Amino acid sequence: MFARRPVPFFRPVPFVWLLEKEWRELLSSRAWWVMLLLIGPLVGVSFIGAVRTYAEVSGANGVATGAGEAFSPLVGVWAPTFSACELAAAFLLPFVGIRLVSGDKQSGALKIELQHSMSALARIAAKALVLLAGWSFASAAPLVAIVLWKAYGGSAYAPELVTIAFGHLLNAGLTIALAAATASLTDHPSTAAILTLSVTVGTWILNFIAAVQGGVWERAAGYTPTAMVAEFQHGLIRLDVVLIAIALIVAGLALASLWMRLGVPVRRRTCESLALAAGTIAAIIACSFATPSWDTSENRMNSFSDADETALASIRAPLHIEAHLAPEDPRRVDLERRALSKLRRVLPKTQVQYVSATSIGLFEQSAPHYGEIWYDLGGRREMSRLTTAEGVLETIYALADVKPPVESDEEIFRGHPLAAQPKGAAAVFYGIWPALIVAAGFLVRRRHA
Amino acid sequence: MVVVRVSHLTKRYGHLTALSDVSFSIRPGEVLGVIGPNGSGKTTLFECLAGVLPDDGGAVLDDGRALATNERSSVLFYLPDAIAPWPAQPVRWALDYTVGFFGGRLDALDDVIARFDLASILDSPIGTLSKGQRKRALLAMSLLTPQPVLLADEPFDGLDLRQTREVAEALRAQVAGGRTLVLSIHQIVDAARICDRFVLLSGGCVRGEGTLAELSAMATARGAAPREQNLEEVFLALT
Repeated sequence: MFARRPVPFFRPVPFVWLLEKEWRELLSSRAWWVMLLLIGPLVGVSFIGAVRTYAEVSGANGVATGAGEAFSPLVGVWAPTFSACELAAAFLLPFVGIRLVSGDKQSGALKIELQHSMSALARIAAKALVLLAGWSFASAAPLVAIVLWKAYGGSAYAPELVTIAFGHLLNAGLTIALAAATASLTDHPSTAAILTLSVTVGTWILNFIAAVQGGVWERAAGYTPTAMVAEFQHGLIRLDVVLIAIALIVAGLALASLWMRLGVPVRRRTCESLALAAGTIAAIIACSFATPSWDTSENRMNSFSDADETALASIRAPLHIEAHLAPEDPRRVDLERRALSKLRRVLPKTQVQYVSATSIGLFEQSAPHYGEIWYDLGGRREMSRLTTAEGVLETIYALADVKPPVESDEEIFRGHPLAAQPKGAAAVFYGIWPALIVAAGFLVRRRHA
Repeated sequence: MVVVRVSHLTKRYGHLTALSDVSFSIRPGEVLGVIGPNGSGKTTLFECLAGVLPDDGGAVLDDGRALATNERSSVLFYLPDAIAPWPAQPVRWALDYTVGFFGGRLDALDDVIARFDLASILDSPIGTLSKGQRKRALLAMSLLTPQPVLLADEPFDGLDLRQTREVAEALRAQVAGGRTLVLSIHQIVDAARICDRFVLLSGGCVRGEGTLAELSAMATARGAAPREQNLEEVFLALT
């Protein structure tokens, strides 16, 4: 009856049981219900504000005040609406994740479950899958916003929405991995919470330093969750960003699994963690060389026109740009956003070097070369001070002896103005949503009791 | 004859040695009591054996072969003391989960529920149970696991006299079914009631191993003959 059992490589049934157990634990977690309860009003505030602003810009007061990009629902409605998910991922989701991982340690369940031969990675994967499912439920709030927007007669471009939802799913994955790692590393949930929030605040500090210092900081800050989500919110999917996010998620979960093995000596766990960190850094560096990207925005806000991209693609010589602009100079921001970010997508080998003596550039204005942007294409050099896309392209075409393409009116994005008020949204997000969550929570608790 | 041999097991917490060169045997179909006062290293010993706490030396041998930490779950199941796992889940689910997750004995479920008098608390969340109820539920859970050796840390802690006797009876029934039990007990009277053999642990060291008669003889041989032939006196004489 009681026989020794060989350790099998994979047994599907225990994993299904583990998934079921994690799901039950999630359902009994107050942190998850609180997240569900709060995300509705959070999305509601963002959505209602965005729709009102969009209506004003669209001429709700009699005069349309914008054109083109201003009437893109992606920028005008979805980016602010989904930003509530970013807030929830930063401040609510970590507690749900920590509760699910730390709970087993605190209650002693981990000591029992560790006596199954299942790998620690499979255990943490079960928790991550359930947490992602839990996050998907929370993501119903922005879906409701989409339904409302369509009901107002608004335009919704599916690729944009899929991109932005994918970006927030990756961001949630990063948060879950971070929370799992900190909960596994520490003995107490409150320590894990402090550690998780410290990492989040740390990425904000990195963004701040990058904005001031530029250089390598700027490159590193490009992969923080905030910067990553911003790319997706502009309808841009960059392979390097996706791969690095996945590498970080896997690393976080692997770290959590290493420290979940209570029976392994701390010294060995530390060595394995250091090896994992080294491997992750190598993977991140390798992934950062991946250049493909996809612009899913309806107005192609991350791309030059098709004609310009075709013309640029014919340029074979390496392009080197030296811009004498300080990190905090608004012209540098313009140059990056309007021209260079698009240029890198067409000419991935483009090298950009910024030169400045200070971070704000205020006292460099009188310096002889400040504001100059030097272009070197296959040994031919040209200087320009223009930071617009048109100015940059003009200079490059001149250097490459390429005839500038004729701009087609058909390619210009006219936008989707909508002067509609967010009718019923307040009732849905501030009344119906919380009521439904409370009722669901009550029913689930009653069923389990 | 020997199912598991613990050989020179050592565990240190910094400068404190919790287990020092601990060696003993676990024989098939016996109830082995690990006896010792609070702080003698019983829980540390069980956690090291089960592989949920790293040891600093020694080995756990199965038929002469050293078992790696992750292999021990094929032979041993350890039930820790003073835990309240899955506090929001009802007892019924915890029993089902044990059977499903560990590949336990579904056929024994009804018998275990009856033996531990769990019918009235099957739908109660584990976190709401009293200490004694929780102990009974967890013991029931451990009896459903399939490993041939069960390590239970303080199985009678929190139980009243009647419950202690019922649990002892249930544990005895397990042994009759072919299972081997290793029980960590600090109440010597309880240990004497159920165990076939004893390992006396004090200050992290094994002071003696054997049946009551063997331990008594050992004490006499060391020139510390017990005043009476009972476990308490033998324990005091040897530690």
